[in-house]
Amino acid sequence: MATFFEQLINGLTIGSFYALVALGYSMVYGVMKLINFAHGDLFALGSYLGYTLLIASSSWVTVHFGLWGGMAIAMLFAFVGIGLAGVLMERIAYRPVYPAGRLSLVVSALGMSIFLQNGIMAIWGSRPQAYPAAVVPSTRFSLLGLPVTTLQVVILLLSFTLMLVIWFIVEKTTFGAAIRATALDRSTATLMGIDVRVVIFFIFALGPALGGIAGVMNGMYYRAISFNMGWTYGLKAFTATILGGIGNIPGAMIGGLLLGLMESLFAGYVSGAWKDVFVFVILIVVLLWRPTGLLGEKTAEKV
Amino acid sequence: MRKTVSVVLACMLVAVLFLSGCAKKTGDTGTIQIALQAPITGDYAYEGQMAKQSVEVATELINKAGGVLGRQIAVTVVDDGSNPKDSAIAAQKAVSMKVVAVIGSYGSSVTQPAADIYEKNKMVSVGYGCTAVGLTMDKQRTYFFRTCGRDDAQGLFFAKYAVETMGAKRIAIMHDNSTFAKGVAEEAKKALQPYLDAKKTEIVYYDAITPGEKDFSAAVTKLRDTKPDVWYFTGYYPEGGLLIRQARDAGLTCPFIGGNAAINDDFVKIAGLDVAKGALMTQEPLVTDVTTTIAGQFRDLYQQKFNALPSSPWPVYAADALYAIVGAIGKANSTDADAIAAAMHTNMTGVEGVTGPTLFTAQGDRKDVPYKMYEVAADGKLVVHQP
Amino acid sequence: MGITENILKHVGLGAKKPSGDQPVTYWSRNRGWLLLAVTGALFAAYPFLPFITDYWIDVAFFVGVYALLGLSLNIVLGEVGLFDLGHTAFYAMGAYVTAILNTSLHVPIIVLLPLSALVAAGFAFLVISPVIHLKGDYLCIVTIGIGEIVRLTMINNPFNLTGGPNGINGIGGPNLFGLAINSSTQFYFYTWIIIGIVVFGLVRLQHSRIGRAWNYIREDETAAEASGVDVRSYKLLAFVLGAALAGIAGNIYASKQMSVSPQSFTFIESSLLFCIVLLGGLGSIPGSILGAAVVVVFPEVFRQFATYRLLFFGLALMLMMIFRPGGMWPRKREGTGLDGLGIRGLPKKDEDLIPLGKPDPAMLKSATTAVVRGVKLPPVTVVMDEGMLLQTHGATLKFGGLTAVNNFDLNVRTGKITSLIGPNGAGKTTLFNMITGIYKPTSGQIDFLGRDITGLKPHTIISYGIARTFQNIRLFPSLTCIENIMSGPHCHARSGTWAAIMHTIGEVREERDIVATAAYRLNQVGLWKYRDELAKNLPYGKQRYLEIARALATAPHLLILDEPSSGLNDRESEDLMVLLQALVKEGFTLLLIEHDMQVVMGISNWVAVMDMGQKIAEGMPRDVYNNQRVIEAYLGKEDD
Repeated sequence: MATFFEQLINGLTIGSFYALVALGYSMVYGVMKLINFAHGDLFALGSYLGYTLLIASSSWVTVHFGLWGGMAIAMLFAFVGIGLAGVLMERIAYRPVYPAGRLSLVVSALGMSIFLQNGIMAIWGSRPQAYPAAVVPSTRFSLLGLPVTTLQVVILLLSFTLMLVIWFIVEKTTFGAAIRATALDRSTATLMGIDVRVVIFFIFALGPALGGIAGVMNGMYYRAISFNMGWTYGLKAFTATILGGIGNIPGAMIGGLLLGLMESLFAGYVSGAWKDVFVFVILIVVLLWRPTGLLGEKTAEKV
Repeated sequence: MRKTVSVVLACMLVAVLFLSGCAKKTGDTGTIQIALQAPITGDYAYEGQMAKQSVEVATELINKAGGVLGRQIAVTVVDDGSNPKDSAIAAQKAVSMKVVAVIGSYGSSVTQPAADIYEKNKMVSVGYGCTAVGLTMDKQRTYFFRTCGRDDAQGLFFAKYAVETMGAKRIAIMHDNSTFAKGVAEEAKKALQPYLDAKKTEIVYYDAITPGEKDFSAAVTKLRDTKPDVWYFTGYYPEGGLLIRQARDAGLTCPFIGGNAAINDDFVKIAGLDVAKGALMTQEPLVTDVTTTIAGQFRDLYQQKFNALPSSPWPVYAADALYAIVGAIGKANSTDADAIAAAMHTNMTGVEGVTGPTLFTAQGDRKDVPYKMYEVAADGKLVVHQP
Repeated sequence: MGITENILKHVGLGAKKPSGDQPVTYWSRNRGWLLLAVTGALFAAYPFLPFITDYWIDVAFFVGVYALLGLSLNIVLGEVGLFDLGHTAFYAMGAYVTAILNTSLHVPIIVLLPLSALVAAGFAFLVISPVIHLKGDYLCIVTIGIGEIVRLTMINNPFNLTGGPNGINGIGGPNLFGLAINSSTQFYFYTWIIIGIVVFGLVRLQHSRIGRAWNYIREDETAAEASGVDVRSYKLLAFVLGAALAGIAGNIYASKQMSVSPQSFTFIESSLLFCIVLLGGLGSIPGSILGAAVVVVFPEVFRQFATYRLLFFGLALMLMMIFRPGGMWPRKREGTGLDGLGIRGLPKKDEDLIPLGKPDPAMLKSATTAVVRGVKLPPVTVVMDEGMLLQTHGATLKFGGLTAVNNFDLNVRTGKITSLIGPNGAGKTTLFNMITGIYKPTSGQIDFLGRDITGLKPHTIISYGIARTFQNIRLFPSLTCIENIMSGPHCHARSGTWAAIMHTIGEVREERDIVATAAYRLNQVGLWKYRDELAKNLPYGKQRYLEIARALATAPHLLILDEPSSGLNDRESEDLMVLLQALVKEGFTLLLIEHDMQVVMGISNWVAVMDMGQKIAEGMPRDVYNNQRVIEAYLGKEDD
């Protein structure tokens, strides 16, 4: 029984990473209907940025701000850096392609993903790197008899807090209403006085920035980073978003958590080799039962 | 607009044809051209780029010592992108460059189509990172050799060691569903069969993790609960480092044995010294252990040029392959492929690479590849394990 | 003008098609064939050119394999617009079936060529059928899932069949009646000849009823269904055909590589195929081939950049989409010729049109007689009331707690104009949707011409003889007007894929009839001169007429028009009334939803009034006009 709870915690941990990446992903996706394949690579880039900061400063940061402070600063650095990268990316690679339609945007995103991955490889090399033990907090304790690290708890709490903040912004504020309006019908939103450019700027800054933070957390937690680490997360983020329902931000988060749980439990109890097959089969079954995702709204099409 | 596109494409085509016309060819005098087929891009880029560096070092050493047959050697790299389709194209490219021989490649399923193409074109190729048994046993090849070991040798070594030396009654085998890792795992399982039949031991865990992922907590929890006496992981070091740390965190205490791709400096870096210490590895002799002159020269020059040593054995086997080819050319006194192949099969006594003598069996496998059990010492370096 | 353009113009191969005052030379008329001949000659000569080594021939071979894959995905993605990112699943199926059967049972490769196609197609049919109804991105993730499931299953080596991550080695090569194919040059010709045959079939398909149906679905699924296209079957057909072609590509790949392993069938490969189709241009056959060439040749050209070659490739993809988002060789819809529509038998001169007022009854139908030849209708089982064409008995539709239509009895008289009026939100369009099969009634029955059509699918109802227009015009915007209209007679034709490719006599005759019908109806609504214009470029009023013409082209007994005069000015509304009355004289029965009282009063023979889902009045126009309840429904109750 204890194992079950352990696997549950494992699943929630992986799941919260998926959820965090999916969150940033679905912000862009929900509004622009853009499948941003490069999102996973921005996540990886965030990880590398945090790593570079902590290494390059030769632990100056860690010495002066402590382990947790160091992590916070690295996350801030990644937040700003990747947010900037996201806005730049939109400006250069996506904006000129909007008039061509969604499918052309997908190709652009794929190109950007290949570009980013190989760019990271060119800058940081192809060998996997690791966040050195010196900069990672490693305290652990026992929660209800289960071994748990403080980092794990912090990550879980941080992820949930971020998710809540985003949820609040999107669902409860006026600006959030503007975001949702733009997602539903961009041209009408402009007619209602919403400056769509600000909305687009916001989501392309915040979405990737969230991915960047997730990257640093991921680097700290697992320690290993490599230039192609983003690809899997990008795909899982897409899966989580669809599972939860397109355009539904809480749905993406729940999708991510569920994904992590399913993976963990299946790998733990049945077979690690078949776990991805299982996850995709479940996804297809869910979509057959609810064709617009778990929380997706059935938008009635006026005929 | 369509016209512009066709003009652009036509220009590209012309440029390409022009460039390809400038391919270097080996004549009867002048530099001997050899190709290195390696994954410079793609998932195995880290191995391929190290192989390239290794071969560069070896080339320099060989040329400094006078080359072979009074001529210098030059190595051109052909990228095979870590996947079979690009490997076939790369092999064709190497063939079209009319080199004397090819060093390649890494990854058995990637090497397979390339080896077939080299065989068809009667060009000698020496693999350095392809350990699948089938490569030399499925079909008789005249022109294919390899300087790395084979999965069955490694699996057998592990099986014997685990049961007879360590006395393990409950064995766990974990792989990552890649050609290499699953190959070794399967061979280990096969080698354990007589022990299983005699009820001397049992396999309590046999499963795969997914490479490229980072969270294996589910797998290690499941592993821990099977209470193994020894845990054999045949996959690669990026996952290996993560696995051992997550396993220790989950409370698994049994010894960890890695296959020969699982442990190196990066493994120690990723896992952290405290966790990596004491991990074991089934491995052919490492470059750090070999005491020959060549090994020493190789180590020094590599360190000087790249500020590190190769972090896995495969790049070193690539250097071995170069030495083997050059040695064969010397023994055969010719750059003709048939002569080289014949020499490699029968006449390699005295030829040495970085890791020792390079002798080949009739099938093209490296002869007498010994395996040892290595251990991560307290300073993070790999030393031979004293049981 | 550039050098190339000058040269080509000199030879008569200039880009512009000859306008009226330019002399039509032999070369310019046949320039399509000329281009083809030149391309063919280049292909044949390629392996023998001086600096082409085996390496470049192999590259050309791989271009061929990817061209086949691109063409196969083009059917699904380009023609139908289905978001498929897991196409390598079918490619893998073909490759593995070839590998397994050849190595274990020694089935000859050449026999496995069609077998791989069949197995891949069958597999596609099995796995796609349950999910074909999913929309857009949901379908996308399912296809990704299928691709990954196939790849992972191959890796895990179930029943020791697939060789695991190592794959299967030792596959033989094809043997054509004694000629063994094993050199690079032989494989080159082998592959490209197959591609030639495939392209021939695909071009024929593109210009046939099937190709058009696919495009209709891509443009607007609901309108396609309402025009009589069985959307589900055509989508499935596209997947099955695409899978078959991908299976063939898999067989060819396996027989040259002599080994297959799961590494060749990753999600990245599927994304690459996706890029090929988009780089070339959606729905464009030469485009897919060109896209394949770019994707395969580009990394080869950039080999000297070693670590950076993929970096440049990513950059190139982005640049392509910025500067040429429509693709390198986009599908042109205007004009005829090699890359045009290939509509056969389009009347070239106005004199060739069927004169107005003299429709051929067998083709254009008249009210009470049987429908167009070839359609098998079920037997008459219901007794209709005297003179009634369509009747609903107690039709009710509930959405959860909301009752949209409540126990409605609609009576439509043969040969007359019936109008359904009522305040906004009364449920009129909903009732129409129930009649045409878009909604299934919660209870009640709908009878038409003696047959019970309650709950049937829209395309079936269309083939029985009902056609409709939509409140918000639903045309196929990126298709030409004539193509739009040609969707009408679609459901009455019977030619399948084989007939379309082989141009059987039956198919040729059907196509001729379809074109003649479409041309007639287009002319009837006065839009003949816009036949090659894209529908979305037409002004609003003309779009309305186009939609009506499309409905007429289905040769219906009953024509249902949803607010036909909305958005028209007075003059246009008058013209519309004239047209509608002419249609009645031709023999059609009309059922309208209308708000314009002039139209209602002016031409209706019978009026029914709907409010809050219920019938509140029915009768002759004048009586309904003065009915107290009706006035209240529209204007509200007068305060006493």
